[in-house]
Amino acid sequence: MTARSEQSDMRPALPLSGYRVVDLAGPMGVYCGKLMADMGADVIKVEPPGGDPMREIGPFIDGQSGPGRSLYWLHFNTNKRSVTLDMRTPAGAATLRKLALASDVVLETRPPGHMDSLGLGYESLAAESPELVYASITPFGQTGPYRDFKASDLVGLAMGGYMYVTGWPDTPPTRLWGSQAYHTASNRAYVAILLSLYHRMATGEGQYIDVSMQEAVAATTEHVNTTFNYTGESAVRCGFRHGGQFVATWKCKDGYASITTNTRKAWDDLRAWMDRDGMAGDLMDETYNDHFVLRGEHSAHIEELIQAWALRHTRQEITDFGQSNHHPWGPATTADEILENEQLWGRGYLTTVESADGGPSMVYPGDPYRLTEFSQPMQRTAPVPGEHNAEVLGSILGLAPDEIGRISG
Amino acid sequence: MNDDAKQTGLALKGIRVLDFTWIHAGPSATRILSDQGAEVIKVESNNALSVVGGPASATARGLGQRHNWNAGKLSISLNMKTPQGIDIAKRLVAVSDVVAENFSGRVMPSWGLDYHSIRPINPGIIMLSMSGLGRTGPWKDRVSYGQTLQAWSGFTELTGFPDTDPSGPASAYSDAVGGMAGAQAVLLALIHRSRTGRGQWLDVSQFESLSSLLETLVLDMSVNRSAAVSTRTGNRLPHGGGAPHGAYRCQGDDRWVAISVFTDEEWRAFVGALGDPQWADDPRFASGDARERNADALDACVETWTVERTAEEAMTLLQAAGIAAGVVQSGADLSRDPQLKERAFFRRVPDHQGEVRIIESAPYKLSRTPGTVTRGAPAFAADMTYVLRELLGMSDDEVEDCAIAGAFD
Repeated sequence: MTARSEQSDMRPALPLSGYRVVDLAGPMGVYCGKLMADMGADVIKVEPPGGDPMREIGPFIDGQSGPGRSLYWLHFNTNKRSVTLDMRTPAGAATLRKLALASDVVLETRPPGHMDSLGLGYESLAAESPELVYASITPFGQTGPYRDFKASDLVGLAMGGYMYVTGWPDTPPTRLWGSQAYHTASNRAYVAILLSLYHRMATGEGQYIDVSMQEAVAATTEHVNTTFNYTGESAVRCGFRHGGQFVATWKCKDGYASITTNTRKAWDDLRAWMDRDGMAGDLMDETYNDHFVLRGEHSAHIEELIQAWALRHTRQEITDFGQSNHHPWGPATTADEILENEQLWGRGYLTTVESADGGPSMVYPGDPYRLTEFSQPMQRTAPVPGEHNAEVLGSILGLAPDEIGRISG
Repeated sequence: MNDDAKQTGLALKGIRVLDFTWIHAGPSATRILSDQGAEVIKVESNNALSVVGGPASATARGLGQRHNWNAGKLSISLNMKTPQGIDIAKRLVAVSDVVAENFSGRVMPSWGLDYHSIRPINPGIIMLSMSGLGRTGPWKDRVSYGQTLQAWSGFTELTGFPDTDPSGPASAYSDAVGGMAGAQAVLLALIHRSRTGRGQWLDVSQFESLSSLLETLVLDMSVNRSAAVSTRTGNRLPHGGGAPHGAYRCQGDDRWVAISVFTDEEWRAFVGALGDPQWADDPRFASGDARERNADALDACVETWTVERTAEEAMTLLQAAGIAAGVVQSGADLSRDPQLKERAFFRRVPDHQGEVRIIESAPYKLSRTPGTVTRGAPAFAADMTYVLRELLGMSDDEVEDCAIAGAFD
């Protein structure tokens, strides 16, 4: 098996065309599977008969749950194929084993040891297929005193150190919006899978990847570890005033706007504007000439003046003035404005996909990077349960229709 | 078969990266490559903007970031304002596999080092261009910092509690996300080059990388419009998130435990771990839906239990009952976390002066290519001899002429 893709003379349609992935992941790894599928890998989502529990996660079309209505499912499973089988039964496990052995990558998020107990662990599969790349994402990794601890996205953010620093001094530690601990684990797992596939091209050997969500989060906070390890102080919550008032967001007339005074010129332009509005107070004084003054002893005083002034201007005014002077200033966008973003449409990041079966047309987001060798239109919307049973179990594994019926329920 | 890769246990041994990146997202992308054996040559200059992680990182925290982002890399000094500096850079392009940069869009073309200019020098070259908003589209010339992008994407407005100012993610999640996306794009391009011999230009918009983590928001806004859940929900999940779900105050100053309970089974185990308190029988908490509806009252009850305990005790007791719970860890907590210790997440390695520096390791363990962190960031311009003499074969005279012309200033 394997290396099918690596021996092809054809120019691949997408960067991962020709690679096959068995996707057994739950919410902790669902984004990793999407990343591979959207880059052209044949990602086969293995669901229990009746469908994956993630099909019941909201939001739903028109707020109504039901088959095909979970936007969570539709978003995270673009370009994947679906087969249904019960891996807890011997026949299901045997079929899954064959499918894994006919694939390049296995992705799973079960507790440590669980896949081994089903006879589907890495060692067992690698004995037959040393080329296999097998990635396990777990809350705390496969080893160590916390390996059997449970975690949610929230607990991943907490134990990884991102939550303690997010929020305001007078609020509880705050989660990042969405499931960012899960997606960070997915993002890191994807890096590791790509490294492994590249290594396999040179050597023919696969490997086992052990991703800890806690570590993934810990390696993603910019300043938590470096601050403590190099100063002995723990970073604390400071809302959206990162780096004092130096890199900051402010409440303005119609929402919030980010005003970063990263250079002396940005600071001078800001205080000159405040002065034109008659609201600079004493900020034109030379005491305040250095833009690093924004994180110094006068920061509370400066903050008060900037905040009072910012309330007089709209996000658009602040953005237009900042950008026309090459300063990194911009609006805080609200959710209902995202679909109006001209840059996301202008680069083709957002695409409208018409429904094939009379449902509503939907706008889908694109990929996190643009590889200019490829155009990357969405190939396929998320599958219904077992949509590809015949294709996958028939063509790849050569099972007869009655066998497929028995295994797939 | 490539024996090099097989023997070294490094997936990217033999890959050379010419690294012009200068702030967070950029160097964190190339650090991922460096960990796996890529030879990353960091092009620096004392004439460049003084930023955190740059040559002039004088503060303790800046020093930490310099080491953490640049561990294992080489450093040369090139003054790109001189023709000699540009000429040396072009000669390095000819012997590199990847060129990486995260300047604003006008910088590389002004040096004649944009993709279309360097491709004739090295047709297989992979060029990673990381920018805030992408190199095409109506906003291609806009400038941004991490916090600007967090605001622009919607993350700032969405992260935080509904009744306070939003906080956004602490620091620069967008840069960390951009770094992961940049590394993924390079790895996809390396795989493609191995299959076809073709290089390419990678146009990474950190705005798009971050927008890709908005999960279902784009679909939700497109089909449900005003009905979509599009505001801040604090530590609670907007879509059937379960309860309790949040950070709960514990004994001590700013000490918290994160707890999430989703199913009825977990609720029973949770209540059992708390010693069956009387409030748990309240009909307001009798079902999952009821607990979510009455989450404020429930949170107050849960906190009567947590405030009597340390965060560590609460975590241990709840984990013993199979509940996802974890200390909301600060920088200090992470530095002594027994799980991270067991898995050697923090590495103590010497820097160029032999001083021990603490560096984060990659948050994944690869069984055959474990990667390596053996030294901290390079001293500024530490590798001039290797790069100029060995790699480019420059003579003494040539090096001296360039020095006189200011090419290394």
